[in-house]
Order: sequence, then structure tokens, then C-alpha cells
Amino acid sequence: MKTTVAYYPGCSAHGFSVDYEKSTQAVCGALGIRLNDIPDWNCCGSTPAHAVDTELSAALCVRNLDNAVKADANELLTPCPSCLSNLRHAAKRMEDPRFRARVDELLDNPAPAVFPEVISVMQGIARRFDANALAERVKKPLKPLRLATYYGCLMSRPAEIMDFGDPENPTLMESMLTACGAEVVDFPLKTVCCGASFGIPERAVTARLSGRILALAADMRADALVVACPLCQMNLDLRQKQAEHAADAIFAMPVLYFTQAMGLALGVPPGRLGIEKLRVNANGLIDKIEAAASGSTAPVEGSRP
Amino acid sequence: MRIGVFICHCGSNIGGTVDCAKVAEKAALFPDVVYATDPMYTCAEPGQATIESAIAEYRLDGIVVASCSPRMHEPTFRRTVERAGLNRYMLEMANIREHVSWIGKDVESNTNKAAELVAIAVAKLRGNTPLHSKSFEVNKRVLVIGGGVAGIQAALDCADGDIPVVLVEREATIGGKMAKLDKTFPTVDCSACIVGPKMVDVAQHPLIALYALSEVEEISGYVGNFTVKIRKRAPYVDWDKCTGCGACSVKCPSKKTPDAFNEFTGVTTAIKVAFPQAIPKKAVITAAHCRQMSRGKCGVCAKVCPTGAVNYDMEDVIVTEEVGSIVAATGYDLMDWTVYKEYGAGRYPDVITSLQYERLLSGSGPTCGHIRRPSDGREPRIIVFIQCVGSRDRSIGRPQCSGFCCMYTAKQAVLTKDHLPESQSYVFYMDIRAPGKMYDEFTRRAVEEYGVEYVRGRVSCVYPDGKGAYSVMGVDTLLGRPVEITADLIVLAVGIEGSRGAGELAEKLRISYDNCGFFMESHVKLKPVETNTIGVFLAGVCQGARDIPASVAQGSATAAKVLGLFARDRLENDPQIACVDMRRCVACGKCVRCCPFGAIEEVSVRDEQKAHVIETVCQGCGLCAATCPQGAVQLAHSTDNQILAEVNTLCRY
Amino acid sequence: MPVLEGKELRIVGFLCNWCSYGGADAAGVGRAVQPTDLRIIRVPCSGRVDPIFIVKALLNGADGVLVSGCHPRDCHYSAGNFYARRRLEVLKQFLPVLGIDEARFEYTWVGASEAQLWQHVVTTFTNRVHALGKAPRFDAVEPLLKIADMALTALRPLGTGKNAALPKLKEAIKAKLPELECVIGWQQGYDEARTVPLFARTPQDVDKFVWGPFNVNNPAVYLPTFRGKKVGIVVKGCDARSVVELLQENLISREDVILFAMPCEGTLDMARIGEKLGRYTTVDAVVCDEASITITADGKEHRFCMADFAQGKCYGCATPLAALSDVSFGAPVDVKPVSATPPELALLDSLSLPERMSFWRGQMGKCLRCYACRNACPMCVCRDYCVSDSRDPHWMSQLADEREKLFFQTVHAFHLAGRCTGCGECQRACPVGIPILALRQQIGRVIEQLFESYKAGTDPAAAPPLLTYMPQEKNIHERGWK
Repeated sequence: MKTTVAYYPGCSAHGFSVDYEKSTQAVCGALGIRLNDIPDWNCCGSTPAHAVDTELSAALCVRNLDNAVKADANELLTPCPSCLSNLRHAAKRMEDPRFRARVDELLDNPAPAVFPEVISVMQGIARRFDANALAERVKKPLKPLRLATYYGCLMSRPAEIMDFGDPENPTLMESMLTACGAEVVDFPLKTVCCGASFGIPERAVTARLSGRILALAADMRADALVVACPLCQMNLDLRQKQAEHAADAIFAMPVLYFTQAMGLALGVPPGRLGIEKLRVNANGLIDKIEAAASGSTAPVEGSRP
Repeated sequence: MRIGVFICHCGSNIGGTVDCAKVAEKAALFPDVVYATDPMYTCAEPGQATIESAIAEYRLDGIVVASCSPRMHEPTFRRTVERAGLNRYMLEMANIREHVSWIGKDVESNTNKAAELVAIAVAKLRGNTPLHSKSFEVNKRVLVIGGGVAGIQAALDCADGDIPVVLVEREATIGGKMAKLDKTFPTVDCSACIVGPKMVDVAQHPLIALYALSEVEEISGYVGNFTVKIRKRAPYVDWDKCTGCGACSVKCPSKKTPDAFNEFTGVTTAIKVAFPQAIPKKAVITAAHCRQMSRGKCGVCAKVCPTGAVNYDMEDVIVTEEVGSIVAATGYDLMDWTVYKEYGAGRYPDVITSLQYERLLSGSGPTCGHIRRPSDGREPRIIVFIQCVGSRDRSIGRPQCSGFCCMYTAKQAVLTKDHLPESQSYVFYMDIRAPGKMYDEFTRRAVEEYGVEYVRGRVSCVYPDGKGAYSVMGVDTLLGRPVEITADLIVLAVGIEGSRGAGELAEKLRISYDNCGFFMESHVKLKPVETNTIGVFLAGVCQGARDIPASVAQGSATAAKVLGLFARDRLENDPQIACVDMRRCVACGKCVRCCPFGAIEEVSVRDEQKAHVIETVCQGCGLCAATCPQGAVQLAHSTDNQILAEVNTLCRY
Repeated sequence: MPVLEGKELRIVGFLCNWCSYGGADAAGVGRAVQPTDLRIIRVPCSGRVDPIFIVKALLNGADGVLVSGCHPRDCHYSAGNFYARRRLEVLKQFLPVLGIDEARFEYTWVGASEAQLWQHVVTTFTNRVHALGKAPRFDAVEPLLKIADMALTALRPLGTGKNAALPKLKEAIKAKLPELECVIGWQQGYDEARTVPLFARTPQDVDKFVWGPFNVNNPAVYLPTFRGKKVGIVVKGCDARSVVELLQENLISREDVILFAMPCEGTLDMARIGEKLGRYTTVDAVVCDEASITITADGKEHRFCMADFAQGKCYGCATPLAALSDVSFGAPVDVKPVSATPPELALLDSLSLPERMSFWRGQMGKCLRCYACRNACPMCVCRDYCVSDSRDPHWMSQLADEREKLFFQTVHAFHLAGRCTGCGECQRACPVGIPILALRQQIGRVIEQLFESYKAGTDPAAAPPLLTYMPQEKNIHERGWK
């Protein structure tokens, strides 16, 4: 059964996290969810906007929400936690009539009274497919894999705005990956900062913080880290060599988007999931999954013992 | 009536912004006022003398004093008029200082307001009648609820004062939390060694009746005459026969019973004596884990018991005791710290509470005093203590300080070094509260002699590091740096709250309690031992955080209050209480239902049901008077007519 | 007492001795400057404050009234302020129906150490009262006479009960009669269009029972007088609620009353019928068909459809058959209750505050102080000791002025808060047709809104809301003094 839902891709979707976008589209396609980009969307403002001017930041987001309303959307999905946070914060702030009045001045037309509910792609899938429904669609179980889930700092905080479960210990990704057959570890650093945008001005900070996450995942013998944020993925994957250098260690830890992991489980070919874009090679994982799917129990060369 | 009005200048306190002479002039024209004057200092001896002589000279039968707040000097002036031969309730006061002269400077408004307040005082006084106290007998026995060190002290002091004591303790043994401690600060005395003799004294004192494994079921009555129903829970062992030899627990095959006395740090047998120095030293069966009682297959303890004391068919017994006074000494429990998800919310076996650690330190604990990690039984090398877990934290509704954690953390760190010389302890703190005698010296010793590292800062996260230890992420605010420690064992100084079930007990006692379950005293500063219910006193941590010396002191304090209460054979009640005009009462029962103290009962008068106020229980709140639709029950000195007189003076269309 | 002209308004305060009076003292000690209008009356507890004191003040010259007590859970007498909180909130929401601005009455919680809060409360409240201005004087406003529009649709078809199982009922009553003091019901009155109460003691008496649209009286009003004796009572659905309320308050015991019930098809509004009939000498005949009656008076026929001439309460009735009964004939009627405003209350809702005050002045002008409303009310058990005609306590004079009459009505309505089942007997009994039911309906509405749709007389085990409390109320919140 196909459903259509409004979609806000965000700026990095067509830029450095094009693999996240590809895999998101692929997974949703495999599940029969059609993602409709809202027309004429603009950047949500990410970190710079709200750090400088909350009204401008809200105006940027409200313009997107207005376009969503014009497209008759009552639910809006977005893959990036930063976009999610900005859009939800804007909607919340607009409840104050004085704030709303000032933002309206910045817009072409006054903002609509009611905004669509903005949720992450992860939540959007989970709402439509519970664990059983997902498990039914799994073609290549992730069974041989031991995964550590990493949400990043923004997804579940602040708790009252993000409405994403327990801020210290969210478990949505775990339940979805478990439904896909993976063994998921109880990863204590799942909401601890990866270094975010400090990768440019304070590289050492990012190297240390991401390094800690990678080190713990390695110590817990995870086969891969699974993430849901383009910036986290960049810090953990693209900058893994910097982290290794700073920690004087080897992690060799593939960092996948959860949509890539789910895509593999749903039988989507790796090429359509942007797997090749991963800096730290994930081919070993794919081989393991394939081997398990085809019934072979022989250890696969190059995989983590 | 012949009323005298005295408008006090109080120096310039009132006289500065109120034209007292003018107020007196106006007052002289009020109904029934025959004399009005404006003394300089009415409460001073000359001022009081003026009142007394005016009463004699002008044959006054009622006095209005317009001065400071009645909360300040009403007792003073009541005594004045009583000395002059009037009933003390024929006095009213108008507050023209705190409520008038001190809150504004406009003389015209203030003078007008003062005159109006005098007018309503006169109007009320005209409706006053003399009131007389009644006396009633007192049952000179006391109930102490809670057998911790505060309750023990209260019981011993009362008993030594020849007052029979009924001591009710919920657990199988008295001793409270002190019995669970290994050593006490700052002397590092063995806790069981210092409280043990007191416990034995309780057991041996001829005037103390100890009900252990019992709870208060119901309380009725009033000061001097309480009736208390106590539920003696079944131990399934006849304590008259049990000698506490322990043969039963040696043979008991059910060895996986969760060990409540040891704070669930280990398991124990289904039948046991609570701990070696338990008083009463009697065995108790935990029915849910006893194989005989849950599955009908065992009975070993009954067979090996030399006196045949085991009895699986025992049932709870309700006994009734009559006492004249009650002491609540129910202590505390640790709050549910698992709300702190950042410390693992209970998922990590090596993150334990201070009380659990205390049991690990104790020689009679599950590890016989060897400090071992719960997860793998190894000795820890790096131990981190985190203070203020659930104290001083508004975000979870616990803003208060728990009072003794800084001290016991220092003690535990010191003991850790004694037990494990190769270990290193860290203490994360916000402030160090060490106000008592030799307390600060003790914490300094922990730092200077025992090498405990004190880090001023909070811990944001504790997580398993994947190598069997834990990463503790905190901050050192004095150095301005984050701190990360790899620890083997983490001990949390968990905040305290009123003992489990404190709220329900408070309602039975008809006393107030706060949202952490601590009982409310009469006045935080000046009446820390009494409650708002006459005859019910508080001792120990049940009232709020305090250490052992303060709990012992308060136990003695309550004994002093009880002995004072019982010093006479009869007590006098406050006559400002409710009374039912039985002619008007239609027995609708609303007042009986609403009285917070259960002070109104239904009685049969000439074959008709009527409400009747039990004079000794009534506290004088007047809720019944506000509830009674036909005004049959009135509160003396605050009747409907008296209040209406005040309203009608002010609102006179 | 004349108020300092031009500078002050009359603001009366009731402060509890332990917390708020101490707080006011603390404010004085701290020399916290406050406006001078407030006059403080000291009471032992905020629970001592009977809401009627506040009404007395507001009707007799107070421009504002402030009540202050200990914070809930800190009451010096443990629970006094819990009761006060409920009662004062009900009063606050009741005042507007009289035309009194609820902003003129405020209750608050100030502790003995909260000097600054007290200063803030006094200043804010005094400024608020000054902004509202001098309160309108009840007996100085122009009277306004308006009639409630009784055109309504019923939730179920209304009828005349002509096919009710009356013979079976009589047999059942006769069977139980020997063990009962009497059985209360209705018999024909002085003509066929009237009924009067019947206290059947013999089988011949039982034969006199009638059942139909003229059974307007609520027989439950007689039950408290038979306390201690076993009686039977025939009840319509609304009457049974009164019986249940009496049970809730332990004014009668369940073992002492036998309820005989049949489904009621509605009763007639005799006042409107009387209007239509006009002046007449005799009622010649009354003929009932299924849904209407035809009264022939002085030879002239008048037809009244039940759907048009039923009592206001019958239209919204969802319990035509007594929910509690011992002997019952007739199938239970399943009616979906619909939340709707009764016509009398709807009229007041449509008026502005000044119009309401004028409305009541007009209505109280008609009132004779006959106390028929009080005497017809089943919940009024005070009888001869009613505060309205008592000198001790002396709440009101016997003056027949509109203010005293409105005060009496307010007292009655307030004493019924959480107890009134809306049987409407008060209004029906009024000889001059004052829509006093509106006041009881308003207080019933306030109770429903505050206490989770509580309806009096539905559950014998329920506690009337103003005779109980919860430490944390769902719908009453601490007032933020901004």
C-alpha cells in the first residue's frame, strides 16, 4: 500500500550527505512511502541562523512550514536532526502571539495558524511500520551484524520540543534495527556529542569527541556504528582518520546511516544506497549479510572477527 | 457593655503616621465605648497599669487595644485584663502598626483606617462572651512509632521518667538505619556497637512494650486519650518460644531470598534473624520465598528448631493500646535515584547507593566487610563517590539538602582506604557541609591523611567503558576543566525522603507533611518538636534531614515534652473551640464529615441524633462552623455573629 | 462606614491567623508600602470563611473582597484550606450569574514569611478594584424584566403516561404496605388538572394513586421527616435523584426506604398552562391521549402538547426511570444525555453583567419572601432553623428589600452547591414565577466543570464535592499573581 508524505530534504541532502538522501529515498520506496518534496523550500538556517537572530531563524523555518501547509501537508518528514530541531523550535515559538507578530512582518504573508507536525524520517517510518511489519519485509536479515546506534545530541533534546522518547536513552533506532535482524548493543554514548561543527574551527575537539565514540564502539566489538545525522556521520566517518591519529589507535569502524542499514535488510542493492560513498569501507558488512542470506556459515575474509 | 479603648502610640512607630489622639476621639463615640485614650507604650508596665486602673475606675467589662499585631501581644494584654478581674477573652486588638502605620505615610488615610479597624474591633468585642477552659484526664502512657535511634532515645527517656512506653517498629528489628551503618562519623565508632546497648536497654526496660514487625493501623481519640490499633504482622515463628539461636537459617534451603536488610546487595535465606545484634533476636520467615509456605514442600526449619517455635499458620494480630501522647520517629528512606538516567538508571551493577556500600563495608554484610564489585566480585581500585544525587536538584523537585551525605561520604572514603590501602577514591561534590563538632576536621583528614581526591563539580555521565570498568565524565569547576575518571565502583550519595508510607501515617496522626514525606513541625524555628496536633511530637529524620546526635537530642526533647504534658493529672483545653447548639442541629452530618481532626461525633440526645464536639480534640479551625448550613455549630471567639459584626461595620448600605 | 472619598474603595480582607496574617505582619515589619484600602478581618483558618460572608460584604458595600490563607498542604489545621479552595472557587465562578464581577473577589495563599508576596497581592488587587471602579449598588440599578424562552426539543418523546402500568404498581404497593409506615406518592387534587401529595396508609388510600403529567411534586421532600421509620415512595426519574442525594448525605438510610418506580414521560409546566387557561371557574374535564392533554375549563377546550408545555427539566432529562429502585415497572428508557444549557440559565448567559444585576433586581421586586422555594426543596433539611429567619446567627434581617431577598437566594443556592439535583421544585413552587432555578443551575454547572462532571444524586456512595477535597485539584490551580 503506497502512502505519500510531505518531505523536507534539507541542504546537505543534495550536498555532502547525498548518500543519506539516496538511501532514505530507497528505503522509503521499498516500504511504499512516497516522499514529496514541499515546493520551493529554503534552508532551515541550521546553526548560524538561530545563534544570530531567533526571529530570522523562525521566519526561515516558517516559510517552509507555510509551503507545506499550502501543499496540504499535515505531517512533514525530514532526515536531518538539525532541520528537525529548527522546524520544531520555530513552530513552538510561534505560539507566542508577540513573537508570531514580529515573524509575520518578515514573511510575504502571515503564517498559518496551525503547522503540520514535523518529525524525523525515522519516526515517520516507525509510525507506519511497527516491528512486526518491518520484520515481514526484511529480505536479508542483518543477523550476523553487531551494531551500535548513535543518535547524536540533537535528535532527542530538548525533550519537551523534540518529543523523541527518553532524552538520555532513546531506543527507536534499536527497535527498528532489531526488527531488521541485527544484534544491537546498549551503547552508552548514543547521545553524547560528536564534536558537531567544531570540525572546522577546533578540529582537535571533534577528533577527541568522535574518537571516544569510535573507541567505545570498537571496545564493545560493534561491527558498525549506525547514525541518523549527516554531520555526525561526517565527523565519525570522514574524519575517522583524524580521530585515529589523535587517539593513536585504529578503529576501522564503518559508519552507516540507519537508512543504509535498513536498505540492506530490505534487499535494496548497495549501489542504490550510496554505500560506496562511505570513507571507511563497509564492504565487509555487505559480504557478511550476503553470506548469511545465502546460508553460508564460512567466515568471510576481511570481516571483523 | 462598657468598653475601654486604648490607642497605642508605640513611640513614633504608630504615632509617627497615625493621629492617635484623633482615633481615640472617634473611638469614644463608638457604640458601648465609655472610655478612650491614647497611651504612649501600652505594653510596657505603666501602659498596662493604665488599662488595669481604667477597668477599675470606669467599671469596664471589655477592652480594645489598638497597637501592634495581636500575634505579638495578645497574650500580654489578655493577662493584663485577667489581672484586673476580667475574663481574658473580653479583649480585642486592632493592628494599627504592622497593617497601618508601617506600610504607608499618609496621615489622613492612616488615621481613617486606624479608626475603622478600631470600629470593627469594638463591634466584635460587643459580641464576645467570657470563655473558660475545661479540664480532662490524661492517660500517662506514650506511643513511639519507629524504633530507630530517635525513637529508641525517646522511649528510653520516657520510660526512665516512669512513663510506660509502647514502641512500634515496622521492621523485624529496631535500630533503624543506624543498625545498617558500619561506622559513624566523625568518631568512626562502630555503629552497631554504640546503638546496640541502647537497643538492649529497650528490650530489657520493664516499662517499654516493644512491638516489632508491627505497624500502626488506626488512631482515634485526642491528646490524653488516644486509642491506637496496631497490626502485629505474622513472623511465622512463635517469638515466645524462639531463642534466636539461628539453627533454622543454617538449614534453610531457600538461599535466594532478596536481602532487604542488606539493601538488596545480596541474597539470604527465607528464615532468618535480621542481623546478629537484632532486637528482638527472633527469626522471621519471608513467606513469598519460603518453600514450605509458597509450595508446601520443605518444613526443615520447623524440624530443626529446638523449641518448636516455627508456625506456618500464624496470622496477623490486631492489638489495641490506649495512650496519652504519640511520638513519630519514622526516619527516612533513600529516594528513587534511578530517575538519573545519566548514571545508568539502575542498569549498571557497579553503580550502587551509599547505603548499599555501607553494607558492603560492614562486617556483618553480604561480603563480610570485604569491598567487592557486585558485577565480578573483584576488589575495586578506583572508587568514585558522587554527592548530591537527588538532593539540591530542582529539576526533579528535590531542592533540599539531605544534611549528612557530605559527612558519610568522607567517612566511607576513609574506610575504603582502610579496607583497600592500594585504592584511590574520588569524591565529586558541590559544597562540603560539615557543621557539627569535629566534622570539618574529619573531612579535612579525609583529604589530607587519607588522600581522597575531592573534585568540585558534578558528574554528567557514567557509562561502562566496554573493558569492564566505567567512565565517569565530570567537571572540576575549580580548575575549569572537564574530568574523566575510569572507575571500578561508583557510590552515589542518594538524597533522602520521608520513610515509605509516611504520608498515610501522617493522615492517621492528622499532621501535615510536605511533598517529600517529611512531617511538618508546628514552627520551623521555635517549635521543632511539636506538630499542629496537640499531643503528637516528632523526633529524628522523619521531620527533616539531621544526623545522629541531633536525632538523639530530639528524641530526648520529645520525651521532655511528653513528661511535661503528663506532669499534671489533668489537662486544660483552649476554650476557643467549636460548640453545637443542639436545638438547631438537624444531624445532617456535614460537620462530622468535614472535621479534619475527627472532633465531632454523633450522639443520641432524647432519642434524637445530634452532633457533639469533643472538646479536647477540637483545634479551633472553624471549618465546621463554615460548613453548617443553619449555623448550629459555632466557633467560640469567632462566631458567625462576631464576624458578621465586623463585616457589617465595614459594609453598611 | 463612609469610605475615604475619592481616595479609597471598600476592600475587605479575611486573613487566616497562622499564615496570611503573619505574612501581612511580616510585610509591615519590612515596611513594605501598600495602598491603604484594605481592612483585615482575622479568622483562625481560611476554612472558617463561609463564602456567604463574602456575598454579604459584596452586596452591602464592599467593592472588593480578598481571602488569604496558608498554602495548600501547609494548613495549620491540616485540611482547612483544602475545603476553602473548593468553596471559594465555586463562589468565584458563581458570582457572575448575579451580575457581580468575579474579579472583585479573589482568594490567595500567602505564607507567614512571604512579606513581598503579600505586598504584591495587596497592591495588585487594590489596583484591580480601582480599575473596576465602585461596585454597582444592587438596589440602585434599574430593574429589568425578561422571560426565558422555553421552546426546546426533548431528548426523547414526551407523553402522558396514560399506558403506564399503574394497576400493577398499586398491587405492588399494597403488597409492601403492611411493613411500611406509609407510601408517598400523588393523588388527584382539587380538580383533575391538579395533584397533591398522598401518604397512603391503607389499601383504599393506595387506590387513589395517580400517574401522569400532573405529578409535578417531588415526594422526596417528605422523606427526612420520616427518619427512623420505614416508608415507601413512588418516584419519577428526577425524584429518585433527590432520594439518592439524601442517601449520599446520610439523611435517610437505605434500609428505611422502598422506592417504587415507573418510567416518567414528562410533567407539565403548570405555570404556563395556567397562563394559557387564563381565568376560569371550574375544570370540567381532562382528557389524556398519548402525547397531549385536553383541559376543558368553563366549557372551553384547551389542548396542550407535552412537547410544548413540559417543564424545562423534562426536555433535557436523560433519566426518566429511577436509576435506584426496589420495585420497578416499565422498560428502562435509553436516552443519550446531551450537554445543553437549560433555558433559564441560557437567558442569564445572554445578558451582560449589569443586565443580570438589573434582571435580579426586577425579579426580587416580585419576591414575597414566602420561602416556598426553600420548603419545596428536598435538600433543605434545616427547616425551622434556616439562617434566613434566625436571629442567632443573625445573617440577614427580615426586611423585604431586594438586597436581603437576593442574599437569601444566594445563600440557598450556595447551600445547595454539589447537592442540587435540578428537580426544579423551587421554581415550580414560587407563586410569583421567579426563575430562581437559574441560580441553582449555575451552581450545578460550576460544580460539573470543576469536579469532573459531578452530578448530585447519581451515585449513593459519592461524596458531595464541597464536603471533601483533594490535596491536588485537577481543575483548580494556584493563581499566578502576575
